[in-house]
Amino acid sequence: MSDATLSQKRPLPLTILITVFIVIWVVLAAFPFIWTVWGSFKVEPDFFSRQSWWNAIFGTYTQAQNDGNSFTGDGYYGAWVTREFWRAAGNTAIVTVSVTIISLTLGTLGGYALARSGRGYAFWILILALVFRAMPHITLVSGYLLPFFQLNIWGVLPTSIIVLVAINQPFTLWMLHSFFLSIPKDLDESAMVDGCSRFEAFRRVIIPVMWPGVVTTGLFSFLLAYNDFATTSMLLSSDNQTMVPKISSFLGSVQEQGNVMFAVAAVVSATVPLFILVLFFQRQIVSGLTAGAVKG
Amino acid sequence: MAQIRLKNVSKRWTNFVGVDNFNLDIADQEFLVLLGPSGCGKTTTMRMIAGLEDVTEGEIWIGDRLVNKLEPKDRDISMVFQSYGLYPNMTVYENIRFPLKVRKVPQEQHHDRVMAASKMVELDDFLQRRPAALSGGQRQRVALARAIVREPNAFLMDEPLSNLDAKLRVSTRAQIKNLHHTLKRTTIYVTHDQIEAMTLADRVVVMSKGLIQQVGTPMEIYDRPANTFVASFIGSPAMNLIPGHMQDGVFTGDHIRVDGLSTQVNGPVTLGFRAEDAVMAGETGQIEAPIYTVELLGEATMISMRVAGELVSIKVAKDYRAEIGDVVRVNIAPAACHLFDQSTGQRIVPGI
Amino acid sequence: MPHKTFFAFILPSLIAMVLFIALPIVSVIVQSLHVEHARVLVEVESCQPFGGCTTETRVDTAAMAELRAEKPMGQFNGLGTYLNRGHLAVNEIGAILASNNGFGDIATRIYNLPFYKALSFTLVFCFVVTPLAMALGFAIALAVNALPKVTKGPVIFFSLLPMIITPLIGSLILYWMIQSNGIIGASLQHLFNDPTLSLRASPVLTWASLLFYGVWTNAPFSFVVFYAGLQTVPGDTLESAMIDGASRWERIRFVIIPHLAPLATFVALVQLMDNFRVFEPIVGFSAEANATSLSWLIFNDLSGDAKLFGSAGATSVLTIVGVIVLLMPVLIRTWQEFNHKVV
Ligand SMILES: Nc1ncnc2c1ncn2[C@@H]1O[C@H](COP(=O)(O)OP(=O)(O)OP(=O)(O)O)[C@@H](O)[C@H]1O
Ligand SMILES: [Mg+2]
Repeated sequence: MSDATLSQKRPLPLTILITVFIVIWVVLAAFPFIWTVWGSFKVEPDFFSRQSWWNAIFGTYTQAQNDGNSFTGDGYYGAWVTREFWRAAGNTAIVTVSVTIISLTLGTLGGYALARSGRGYAFWILILALVFRAMPHITLVSGYLLPFFQLNIWGVLPTSIIVLVAINQPFTLWMLHSFFLSIPKDLDESAMVDGCSRFEAFRRVIIPVMWPGVVTTGLFSFLLAYNDFATTSMLLSSDNQTMVPKISSFLGSVQEQGNVMFAVAAVVSATVPLFILVLFFQRQIVSGLTAGAVKG
Repeated sequence: MAQIRLKNVSKRWTNFVGVDNFNLDIADQEFLVLLGPSGCGKTTTMRMIAGLEDVTEGEIWIGDRLVNKLEPKDRDISMVFQSYGLYPNMTVYENIRFPLKVRKVPQEQHHDRVMAASKMVELDDFLQRRPAALSGGQRQRVALARAIVREPNAFLMDEPLSNLDAKLRVSTRAQIKNLHHTLKRTTIYVTHDQIEAMTLADRVVVMSKGLIQQVGTPMEIYDRPANTFVASFIGSPAMNLIPGHMQDGVFTGDHIRVDGLSTQVNGPVTLGFRAEDAVMAGETGQIEAPIYTVELLGEATMISMRVAGELVSIKVAKDYRAEIGDVVRVNIAPAACHLFDQSTGQRIVPGI
Repeated sequence: MPHKTFFAFILPSLIAMVLFIALPIVSVIVQSLHVEHARVLVEVESCQPFGGCTTETRVDTAAMAELRAEKPMGQFNGLGTYLNRGHLAVNEIGAILASNNGFGDIATRIYNLPFYKALSFTLVFCFVVTPLAMALGFAIALAVNALPKVTKGPVIFFSLLPMIITPLIGSLILYWMIQSNGIIGASLQHLFNDPTLSLRASPVLTWASLLFYGVWTNAPFSFVVFYAGLQTVPGDTLESAMIDGASRWERIRFVIIPHLAPLATFVALVQLMDNFRVFEPIVGFSAEANATSLSWLIFNDLSGDAKLFGSAGATSVLTIVGVIVLLMPVLIRTWQEFNHKVV
């Protein structure tokens, strides 16, 4: 669509309509985050104010409790130090990084095989992966618990990592498979004629060309592991919790203590990495979302 | 020493035959061209030799080794792909060097050999560029250099010139011919361009629908096509093929009557002759028909007319002028006539 | 690629999927056919120094532990769990159908059975959120496409946030805002001048806010896919439509929408799959009193102290059946296409 010719002829009311619509959408999408970040530096009576939400903006009670300063880091201190949120953050780092690396390793090998085989069974493996992809994670979790208790591997990080890798595989396979399809077959074949085995061709010729696809898929593996609640909340003991289940456990106990601000601060803390991710990898995320669509 | 022998080689997919019972001995240092229309199984044959495609049935021998089960890397051949298959992340120099690296050729030889190969294909000015920054012809030469940098048993080339423009095609063709002469390696070359086949080949294999139609030197194939398929595929324009009837050495059909042919053949046959073998006649001609079109080619003039339902082309002198609809008379020397069985399409060799 | 190489490459991935996706499904099926051991009761006589002896009935913990160790899954129950009140509730439905006061009554009483309550919310969520989010995403895509280049980047950045956010966190953020003491909740009370107005208290408002959350997180995905699709609309076709005199709306209707139709199928499929497992927002909104989903039922069975594996298993199997029904059109079509290709 050529921008110039169309926009020149666009009537004014339509332009206004489009602008208003976009402004409303951006506010809808962004305001909750801005509001929560702002509020996380206030005390509870400000952020959850019955009287007037101007309190949250000016920090009336925060000033009162805090020697006239309208910002406070109490929520963060309470969450990170008192309630040891740092431990959960560390666990999350371990889990997400391991899941991403293992998923990509298994996924690139498998996705490459699926893209290059062209046989009937490769097709059926892809369809099976699609069905697996649709399984709600919690249904699988209910299958894990009993065996994991029996084998005595419940509650520890490695178990969750392996489970998340497996749950992630169908998606990873699909995505990498479609990226591999876009790399010409001639490339691996010339490498093999030049003297590589299949695996060497994969490692020395295909992977160097595949980096963008691997990075994009890695982002999505990371997101899946990072955002997971169903699996980690059921499979990790409370000492080994990652951030998301930890936040949900705050809600149970913290609200009784009257300090929901810990949870607010933890939520904001957990959102920051996602923000940074979108900031730096916007292009990859967009290309990843569409990669499946164009091929699918 | 690298003869290549294919014994009863077939390739089948679930319900499709790609190559059917292929038998061929390729001599050491021979330049063999596989020629045929699109989809006839040329690439498949070559890929089976390279080991990129499993053989469904039959045996492939390279030298004195049965290679059916060997991986491509163990067959010691090199291949030039139609779309070049250059490694986009490496420079030209690294591309050419790659086969030496993965085959563990001693490091100290690399530079000299890369330079020698690049010199042979005149790439010296581009060694530090990436493939994306090269023109089609330059990429083609990188692919060639990568193939010749080591000394393989055989070269396989799959339509290496098809992506080049007409002029570059001619010069690269000459380069390939010259390389073959210098390197003296068995070469198998796939093309569907018959000029390439004729100019390059020691022997040509004409294929159709997975089957070998004829194997022979370019002249044999041109002068004695084994069947109507080869006759109509080779030559530009293709051989004229006219259905008709033979009786006592006389071929008759609508608008045509040729005598002086073999008396041993009787019954329905197809008569073939090439456009340049026909000569204009005086009062009576063996063919008498109105002109359908006149095409000026520059070095000659081509006229065509409808004979026995087929469009027949005839090459005449370049200053010949006639109008569409004029009746022309043409003679064909009996020696220039080919006879084919009308039902099987096979060449009929009289006297045997 | 030879079979051996293929399997060498795919084996690790396949093993992971078989062990942690296929086997758990089998394990869930087996579990669903079992039920927790009945409690072993013993009569215990306890005698006080003064006051004689009383007998009381207690749970024999030692015997229970032994039973559990012997048969961790519990005792075989056949389809019992599937049919009981917490799941398909066959008897209850029979009773409702036998005596009732008309259609409305049937609907309310069936809705009050836990499984059907969860099923209805899950389905409503799936089939309301998906089309709304797609429509909103399409509208955003059209609007963003019309923006000047400099603003596109930032708008896309903010648009991605609701999708990329952890579902539990996203729902908490919204929930805190719509609580009666949050900014939106309080403003609404002001607006309607009704201090008792609470999105949590009324089932309708709870559903509405959950659906709103669903559209909010799902719209960006459709937006991105449709936006990418818009970049590939053939300019020639669009221009010839203009020359043919098509209005702006007609160009969208007859050129753009048909061009994006295959993408829409893809988006719908992915979003239906994702929405069918709706779960985190219910936890985040603490909405379980008014809205539950199939995933939430399983979660609830498993997260208590007494883990009801049988019950969770049965719900899981029913959910998996639901997923397969949902995917059926796709599966049938691929099957047909595949057969077509072979023949
Ligand atoms: N993987 C495959 N499965 C099924 N059929 C195939 C497969 N690969 C090739 N074929 C078929 O085998 C036949 C021969 O293909 P091949 O590539 O050898 O043709 P070609 O002679 O090289 O043609 P061209 O001149 O167009 O390159 C074609 O009809 C093709 O459709
Ligand atoms: Mg070919």
